[in-house]
Amino acid sequence: MKSIRRLSSLALICASASLLAGTVASLTAPAGAQGTAVASASPIDAPQIVAMRRLTEAQYRNAIADIFGPDIKVAGRFEPVVRPVHELIASGSREAAISPLGLEQFDSMARNIAAQVFDEKHSGQFIPCHPQDNAKADDACATATLAPLGRYLFRRPLTTQELVLYVKMAGLAAGPTGSFNGGLELALSAMLVSPNFLYIVETAQPDPAHPGVLALDNYSRAARLSFTLWNSTPNAVLLDAAAAGRLTDPAQLAEIARGMVASPRFEQGVRAFFTDMLLFERFDNLSKDPVLFPYYNAQVGQAMPEQMLRTIVDELVTRGGDYRQLFTTNRTWMTRALGGLYQVPVHKSAGWEPYTFAPGDDRAGILGQAGFLAIYSQTGRSSPTLRGRAVRELLMCQPVPNPPGNVNFTAVQDTKNKAVPTARIRLSAHVTDDNCAGCHKLTDPVGLSLERFDGIGSWRTTENGAPIDPSGNLDKTVFSGAAGLGKVLAESPDTHQCAASRALEYARAMPSDDDGDLVEALDKQFAADGYSIKALFLRVATLPENYQVKIPALQTGATRVSMANQ
Amino acid sequence: MSNMHSNHDRRSFPTGWWRGARPVASGALAIGLLAVAPIAGHHLVGGSPARSAENPPAKLPAPPRDGTLGFVVAQFVSPIVPGNDACPHGTAPRLREEYLRTLPDAEQARLRLKDNEKELVSRWHAYALGPNETNVCSQPDMFTHTPYPGVESRYGWGLNLGGRNAAGAGDNTTCAHDKFQSPTGEQGIDNQEYRATGCTLEMRGVDGNGGDALTGMQQFHNSGQWTQVILLKGVHSFVHQDNVEVIYANTADRPILDSKGQFLPGMSFTVNDTGARHRNVLHGRIDNGVLTTEPADIKLAQTWGQGGPRDIRGNRSAYHYHKGRLRLEFQPDGSLRGLVGGYRNLFDVIVSSSLGGEGAAIVAGIDCSAEMASLKKYADGMRDPKTGQCTAVSSAMRIGAIPAFVADLPTAQRTASR
Repeated sequence: MKSIRRLSSLALICASASLLAGTVASLTAPAGAQGTAVASASPIDAPQIVAMRRLTEAQYRNAIADIFGPDIKVAGRFEPVVRPVHELIASGSREAAISPLGLEQFDSMARNIAAQVFDEKHSGQFIPCHPQDNAKADDACATATLAPLGRYLFRRPLTTQELVLYVKMAGLAAGPTGSFNGGLELALSAMLVSPNFLYIVETAQPDPAHPGVLALDNYSRAARLSFTLWNSTPNAVLLDAAAAGRLTDPAQLAEIARGMVASPRFEQGVRAFFTDMLLFERFDNLSKDPVLFPYYNAQVGQAMPEQMLRTIVDELVTRGGDYRQLFTTNRTWMTRALGGLYQVPVHKSAGWEPYTFAPGDDRAGILGQAGFLAIYSQTGRSSPTLRGRAVRELLMCQPVPNPPGNVNFTAVQDTKNKAVPTARIRLSAHVTDDNCAGCHKLTDPVGLSLERFDGIGSWRTTENGAPIDPSGNLDKTVFSGAAGLGKVLAESPDTHQCAASRALEYARAMPSDDDGDLVEALDKQFAADGYSIKALFLRVATLPENYQVKIPALQTGATRVSMANQ
Repeated sequence: MSNMHSNHDRRSFPTGWWRGARPVASGALAIGLLAVAPIAGHHLVGGSPARSAENPPAKLPAPPRDGTLGFVVAQFVSPIVPGNDACPHGTAPRLREEYLRTLPDAEQARLRLKDNEKELVSRWHAYALGPNETNVCSQPDMFTHTPYPGVESRYGWGLNLGGRNAAGAGDNTTCAHDKFQSPTGEQGIDNQEYRATGCTLEMRGVDGNGGDALTGMQQFHNSGQWTQVILLKGVHSFVHQDNVEVIYANTADRPILDSKGQFLPGMSFTVNDTGARHRNVLHGRIDNGVLTTEPADIKLAQTWGQGGPRDIRGNRSAYHYHKGRLRLEFQPDGSLRGLVGGYRNLFDVIVSSSLGGEGAAIVAGIDCSAEMASLKKYADGMRDPKTGQCTAVSSAMRIGAIPAFVADLPTAQRTASR
């Protein structure tokens, strides 16, 4: 084991160094050679690295499960990708580095995964040959094993240089460990900590039809399609299509995208998109006062995001419904634990079952679901301000400024004072300060309509004995309760345009702020498609602009990679 | 199959409301009982129903729209009458004292000396054991210890199992016994289990207000091993309603408790036939907000902790009430409060201690033989026609039940399972 550890350090270094060489080599592989597992290196022509997007935890897990099987356990802590203000985590992935501590975690996970892959139970699935001696190196068999695995992990064929490196690594480790499989284990560990795996490296080349614009190459398109629509690494079909150059052909790309959207795996992609769009990372740190909210417990906390995602998937994917129905539907899913919070019957002792709220119930759409209401609340109380801000920012793409650092929250935190029994009264006292009033005018009239749901989303009609007024207004439209807010949101053009904008941002991993015309056009198509989420993602996946990269004039030289011949 | 509680799907209850007579928050009353004004001005904390046909509630609730109400039993304990009147001579002696009382005074005095403690321990332990690895708790009939002292007070909680005017004289199926009077004035109460065991330390406690048996039973209940549900069907009036079907059953579903260990209302439970579960179908009537069922056998699960077959923990027994019945009072806060009563086999009463065996005797100091002798002395039901001896004691348990959604076993499954 000591030998393995020493060599593992070497593997890390070598793997990191191989990043650029490998990437560039893949760019320069002639079309005919790309169908094989190994691409031959050739002099650099014009391809450039245009983006490196770090895998999220979900993408990493999905990739490992897809490549090695769901029984390979991934155990470790993932350094989170930081969300830029008012953007998606997907956009943050472009700027995400890995700290030394984070790399240690990836290294630990990599070793653990590699050990499982080449253990007695699994190695037969991945080693297509018999080494001459199980206790010694066998370069030919190592090559035959590592080349296809590398293709899946790096989402492109390994370059000759890379393959030689990893085979040599396997050979060096086979000696000290006295095991052919031990050598492979080390080589695979190295691949798993390579930036070529941990980052989605996107490369592009000049687009002859659009001067000044780069177009993503085939393998980058395969990754973009796969991570956008399935939130996982490209499969063999996509890699083969990339190798054959089919993904730069609009018609063939559209055909493949249609198949992907129709696949059951599209659900995974939709879940990932809404998890990002609705800031589900807030569930990771959700805590509620158990004395004030006895119906909140660990099971409820786990079920909350899943309930929202099941509702979303059911409405938008399974039923193929209109995106706007997310704010008005009375259908959802329940578990026993959630049933207590909602005070509704749940027949099944374990698992999920569909539930439909009665007509006229204020539990309308995802705004009336406990998950949304709980994460946009404080630990011990509801928060019309947080809820209103979430509606504005997440669902309407209307950024609300952060509060200044010296705000006095005493008035809104005084929740047990019967002189100011309701949040509406407390907030009216709070916003007498002109510095606060500006933003609160944007958020509170929206959030106050959800006040009949407490800090975990349980129904209530009074607070401190005083009746709750659920009236609200959004941009001069007056309404009442969650159902009223949902209806107004569903009718607002900002709502569906925001979804279109977020979908584009999600696919490209960059905000769409500078692409107003493109978003507007996409939104019109969204409307023409009946606000179908499937159609929206198909549009995004086949949008030529999705695969184009504008070259900032001053940065052209700086981003070019030219180390392949060194 | 479904028979969710009451006429609406969703309800809202203040937390902990069922423990006392806490008023329901205005506007929170969505369904069933909670949609009505209080049906009585007060109720007794820890007591049995004070209400009766002669004592009608001030105002009765509106019935549930579909005639169905569901509850989960949150309290299931022996209903002792607190205080020292019941046992003026203190609680029943422990096994060590029982042994010492069998000796002459001089010998008792000698053994009580500190220097002789080792000898005393050895001898009273031997008193708990018999031949062939028997002991006083596992084989109580093999020992002939003096009966525990019974409750001397005239007050006790329970049901009149022998008819309204029966005076405890005995008949073909019962044996003569003294009846209790409830602290609220109800006459003719049968609860000989309480008379026989109400002075044990486990039942009475050191302060006279309840011992480990009560808290232990509540803990078992909270753990979900005994979870009981009550489902009422055909409730269209709380003033007068005949032909109410009552499903009184165990469920495998564990209750959800709040941070103070109290059951949360409005949770869902399923009645199924997996494991040692029981589903009792009873029939009754409602008069002035009080539900009373006709006598019938009632069997309820009783699991003593979790463990393997060689361990006391995990052993399963049952609460088996012969000629059992329920009397439950609808409360203004939506809960049910009352009693389940009937005749229990004598050994069933001490099954917990008996499962504990030597440990119950030597570690806890329980004299199961004395307890069994007391039960035999006070037995008043299930008279054996051949011997003329009564083989069971009248018994009662206090029930507190809170609103819940109860999914009953599908009809087809019930048929198939039987």
